[in-house]
Amino acid sequence: MTDQLSYPDVTNLAVPFFIAAILIELLWISIKGRGGRYETKDAVTSLVMGAGSVVSGILLGFIAWGFFMVLWKATPLDLGSSWWIIALCFVLDDLRYYWVHRFGHRIRWVWAAHVNHHSSQHYNLTTALRQTWTGTFTFMMIVRAPLILLGFHPAIVLFCGGLNLIYQFWIHTEAIGKMPRWFEAIMNTPSHHRVHHGRNPRYLDCNYAGVFIIWDKMFGTFVPELDRERVDYGLVHNLGTFNPLRVAFHEWLAIFKDMARPGLTLRERLLYAVAPPGWSHDGKRVNAEKMKAAHLKQHPEDKGTPGFS
Amino acid sequence: MPLHILGPMVVIGIIGIAVLLHLMGRTAPRTLTNETDALAAWKRAFPNSVPVSALLSNDRKAALVTTHNNTGLVWCFGDDTVARGIKRAAVRETSKGLSFDMPDFAAPHVDVVLREPNLSTWKTLVNDA
Repeated sequence: MTDQLSYPDVTNLAVPFFIAAILIELLWISIKGRGGRYETKDAVTSLVMGAGSVVSGILLGFIAWGFFMVLWKATPLDLGSSWWIIALCFVLDDLRYYWVHRFGHRIRWVWAAHVNHHSSQHYNLTTALRQTWTGTFTFMMIVRAPLILLGFHPAIVLFCGGLNLIYQFWIHTEAIGKMPRWFEAIMNTPSHHRVHHGRNPRYLDCNYAGVFIIWDKMFGTFVPELDRERVDYGLVHNLGTFNPLRVAFHEWLAIFKDMARPGLTLRERLLYAVAPPGWSHDGKRVNAEKMKAAHLKQHPEDKGTPGFS
Repeated sequence: MPLHILGPMVVIGIIGIAVLLHLMGRTAPRTLTNETDALAAWKRAFPNSVPVSALLSNDRKAALVTTHNNTGLVWCFGDDTVARGIKRAAVRETSKGLSFDMPDFAAPHVDVVLREPNLSTWKTLVNDA
């Protein structure tokens, strides 16, 4: 078995590229007067969240790594480390990303970690770095278990995960309109991912892809960016704070507050943690389905159009 | 990448980008241009609510919005806006106007710049909320 495999931490190596790309995007927006918006506190919050995510990875990364190594010791399979195994792992890990990301929007416990990535009302390259500090606590590392058990070495899986994140950096921009048609058909692009960051009812809960948009097309969650409906970025209830601690932990606190409400059944307490965001025991809160229904009530002509089918 | 290189690079990168953005005039540029703008900002936050009127703060950074069954606050947040109802907010007068402490971990506090006679009108509306 290939126990001793080592790959570079590509996410950390990409930091100089991230900084350079942000400066280039800012210069582009300033010169052209279009292609996105930057605001100081918003950008700094995103960058601090990114730095905190790296620190969190350093401090808590051993938990996922330990879990993966236990699985690696348990599996009799070893696919080795040839280039095509790495390529196959990259594709399968992207499928893993799709599901983790989808869970991240449909299970409140996972959403609590992911929400901060959507908490900016801007969409620029700093938004890409507004990453979670609490991903470990979602236990979504379990979704990677099949890859390890199939014989992909944990180091290869994490290497592919790092490449996946780096790919997703450049799609967080308004400076790029649409890519060539063949590319838009297969790959996740700025256009597809802008839709994912939208708070418009049409654009809620769609385009979960990391690298390949084909997963959304396969699983029925793809919504194209429409020229007639500009994406409104952010959360349904936007945050009124730039404090990174509040950004990182606000949804976790909200979950625990809801679960501790008096007079709930055990099932209701559990559902406050695992039901989709917006669920409430009395049905008074607004969730994505209700928002879409309310929109269709006001705009029945949109029924059957992308995002409302 | 070794931590002794990554750490300073991240810190210098963040500070550098922050200073650059500030010098470019990109710090909290948003103001509410008029009542219509404030109503639109409320409607953006609460699409199913029908705002009736908006009263701007003196620095045009916030507005008190009245709907058929609610009173709320819209305020400028960086280059954007945020809105919340104020029913459960703790409001107190400060040397610059009014201070709102919201029962919301994700939107905890808003200072609104108000001068007379605007301040008195706001106080009346807030007390009636």
